[in-house]
Amino acid sequence: MDMLLMGLCVGVSAVAFVALAFGAAMRSEPWNSTAPPPQLPLVKAVAPARFFSDRAPVPTVVPSVQVPIEVLLLQIENHVRLEQAAAESFLAFPSQALLHSKTTSPLVN
Amino acid sequence: MTHELLNGLSSAEIEQILKLGTRLIIPSGVSLFRLGDPADRLFLTERGRIKLTLPMQVRGREEDVFVEERSPGQTVGWSALIPPYRFTLTAAAALFEAEVIALPREALLHYFAANPAAGCKITLNLAVVIGHRLQLFQTMWLREMQRTVEVRSA
Repeated sequence: MDMLLMGLCVGVSAVAFVALAFGAAMRSEPWNSTAPPPQLPLVKAVAPARFFSDRAPVPTVVPSVQVPIEVLLLQIENHVRLEQAAAESFLAFPSQALLHSKTTSPLVN
Repeated sequence: MTHELLNGLSSAEIEQILKLGTRLIIPSGVSLFRLGDPADRLFLTERGRIKLTLPMQVRGREEDVFVEERSPGQTVGWSALIPPYRFTLTAAAALFEAEVIALPREALLHYFAANPAAGCKITLNLAVVIGHRLQLFQTMWLREMQRTVEVRSA
């Protein structure tokens, strides 16, 4: 008799536990079904950061060393003076060698 | 002072010619004339140096680039006697002030008409000046051409 009552109590408790668990499960189910699925924010593909430019990367060109323009103008003047001196030499003593003689001008060397 | 343009003239003729002109003092760097200006006077350099330049594009900027320099005794601005009477260079006093004698074309032509022998000598002297300039720049041009050909065929 005792064993029968004990089994009955355990059974009723088990049924009650299962019922509570089922009720709890059924209460949470509508939230999931009605709520819109969470949307992840659209993330635009971001290009690698570049300074001051959105354009395609340009191959880096190492600028050649430029002399100041004043120096360049002096080099031009020096070149013209040397060329005139060479031309004067040719006119004084015309020959093919003097016609094509080399000068020390940095613009042609 | 011996002027190349007045070679072969008598002292009296030289004096008459110089009396036709006006002495000008050109401070350093100041232009005597500019490219394209009407050429109604030619100049005999008395003192200092006159720098002749032409405009050239250098790194995107227009710069007056040295072409040649005229010393005392040399002539500047012979475009005044050659049509179309426009200067084809810019002339300015170089590092120091310069002094020139400006000879008006009209006065020179009247003198030539009245003194044909002197006019002939001056014209021949001018031909020497122009001929030398032509030969000089012809030679310089050929040297540049030679370098261009060497660079292109390298």
